[in-house]
Amino acid sequence: MLRQLRARFGGPVAMAIVGLLCIWLIAMVVLPQLQMIDYSLRPNLLPAEQGGPRDHWSLTNYATLFDNRIHLAIFFKTLWSSVLVTVLTLLVSYPIAYYLAKIATPGQAALCLLLLIIPFWINEILRTFSWFIILAFRGPLNELLLTLGLIERPVRFLNGDAGVLVGMVYAYILFMIFPLYNAIESLDGNQVRAARDLGAGTLRTHWRIVIPHAKPGIATGCIMTFMLAAGSYAVPALLGSPGSRWFTQIIYNWFFEGGDWNQGAAYAFLLLVLCIGFMSLVMRLFKVGLADIAK
Amino acid sequence: MDGSVTLDRIVMRFGDFTAIEPTRLTIESGEFFSFLGPSGCGKTTLLNIVSGFLSPSEGQVYIGGEPMVGVPVNRRPTAMIFQNLALFPLMSVYQNIEFGLEVRGMEKRARRQRSDELLELVALSGSGDKPISALSGGQKQRVAIARALAVEPRVLLLDEPLSALDLKLRQHMRNELKAIQRKTGITFIYITHDQGEALAMSDRVAVMSAGRIQQVADPETLYHRPGTGFVAAFVGENNRLPGIVVEVTETLVTLEVAGLGRLTGRAGQAALAVGQRAALYVRPEQLLLLDETAAGTAAPATLEAEVESVNFEGAWRMLEARLSATGERLRILLGQGGDSRQSLAPGAHGRFGYDPQQAIVLADDDSPRLDAETGEVVSGQPRERSHAASA
Repeated sequence: MLRQLRARFGGPVAMAIVGLLCIWLIAMVVLPQLQMIDYSLRPNLLPAEQGGPRDHWSLTNYATLFDNRIHLAIFFKTLWSSVLVTVLTLLVSYPIAYYLAKIATPGQAALCLLLLIIPFWINEILRTFSWFIILAFRGPLNELLLTLGLIERPVRFLNGDAGVLVGMVYAYILFMIFPLYNAIESLDGNQVRAARDLGAGTLRTHWRIVIPHAKPGIATGCIMTFMLAAGSYAVPALLGSPGSRWFTQIIYNWFFEGGDWNQGAAYAFLLLVLCIGFMSLVMRLFKVGLADIAK
Repeated sequence: MDGSVTLDRIVMRFGDFTAIEPTRLTIESGEFFSFLGPSGCGKTTLLNIVSGFLSPSEGQVYIGGEPMVGVPVNRRPTAMIFQNLALFPLMSVYQNIEFGLEVRGMEKRARRQRSDELLELVALSGSGDKPISALSGGQKQRVAIARALAVEPRVLLLDEPLSALDLKLRQHMRNELKAIQRKTGITFIYITHDQGEALAMSDRVAVMSAGRIQQVADPETLYHRPGTGFVAAFVGENNRLPGIVVEVTETLVTLEVAGLGRLTGRAGQAALAVGQRAALYVRPEQLLLLDETAAGTAAPATLEAEVESVNFEGAWRMLEARLSATGERLRILLGQGGDSRQSLAPGAHGRFGYDPQQAIVLADDDSPRLDAETGEVVSGQPRERSHAASA
């Protein structure tokens, strides 16, 4: 990279660009992370005791999670729900992405993309709030279903995980659609036609031809959606019920309500490890490398 | 196994545009049939109608006597070889060939046996486990053929499959395709804009232009007895000399051609009347250089032309000349013999004659024809237009 930059801008400018990049990465990414690791390994002490004999590194903060059954349950529930969000988002996005990439005329695709993007011009909190209104006990969705005669009495959508799942699928759909769209778009239409011509039905054509081709896109979309879902705070805070707490809310509580940054940092790191673990699992499952995802 | 294909009054419209004018045609079972025409003539549309990728606006397609309109692509007894082959790049050769068999629920061992047979047919035995990316262009071609034959189609549709190959390989694959067609007895419908391919392989050829079939005939007839001006110009090289019919006998027609006088040629299929616009077509290889000493008295007509360029093509030379009287282009093919014609160099004047039996007169109808200067298809307008453009 340095060589290309030097060829383009000359030595000094190239060095300056690379230097700024390094400063950015070190000051904004690496050092804060190291500081958080440091925090997570120290006990939560009063300022007077800091640097004293009790201020030494230990894994106590990490052990707290495994001793606290409720937190542990929420940790695994967050993992499970994020997987669920990822799968649901994939199921919703795949037909849309396929339609955009292969079926829609350029005009239809542009219109459809615009309609998908416009809501994202609005702040995430506001968008989530609108779901709160839609899904409310006396909200428009219940009204509609009642009017259509599909339900006899209003449903408490916001009780349990349903509201959180709906809100998240909606919030992260673009992060799934775009990688999928890019991957499917590059598929030669004759591949699909050839599969049809050889007798394959719609399902088999997708399973054997389109999905294998779109694998890197699916992996990218799943990783992004999972990371965002697992790390989401606003959606579970607004659409969740007390019974559907997200792990991020626990972390938030440690930091801002418990005032225990050290404990919060340890929890945050465990979530990070979880995400990295999921990412490598998906990459292995789909047999894609980092280079495929970067495409 | 009846692999006959009948197009019964097929019409295809896209909005206001009519891609296929009403077409009736029967392709016999086991025939090697080609659709030949310039790009945009509707031949690929016709192929897509037979394969089921398109549904005709009007009319019916019969394969083996069964109506096909409404039958989806995956239920038709056809298989297609795509222009870009459309092999599945993530699968091995075996997996590609067996895809269609897998769809039909064939057992694994039977599938493997069948694909081994097919690989032998296309001379690729032992390559089954290779990935597609490891194959050369010609090998990919063979895999595509094997994959299409695997599903035992009654009709094989080929959409310019050789166009991506280099010349030598293309000529080799022509023979191979023809041999495979003979061996399997399957009806082949071949789409091409390359007349060499169509003439070399086909039992019959349909020449298409602007959504209309101009002529259906065997290659010899197509070349020697073209039915329309378009066919005369598109199949092989031809010199076109337009004029007005002045005399019609049983077999010969005489034209009055501005600047060149009276020219006579064989009458084409359609009857001509005196006073009608028509054109005389004489092929480059039928033009003879007349001896200076003979003074051209014996020849029925002489064409005086100035040689512009001589293209050496190996077995022959192609002369590009312009008629002295009208400035129209004239192409003359010279054999490799050591005759005096070899002495013709750019700038030289020559007098050329032809045997009227070897030239054909066809009505100058409104059908599209090829522009002699650019080789592009132009709609059937009065010839002044192209002439003015080049002047």
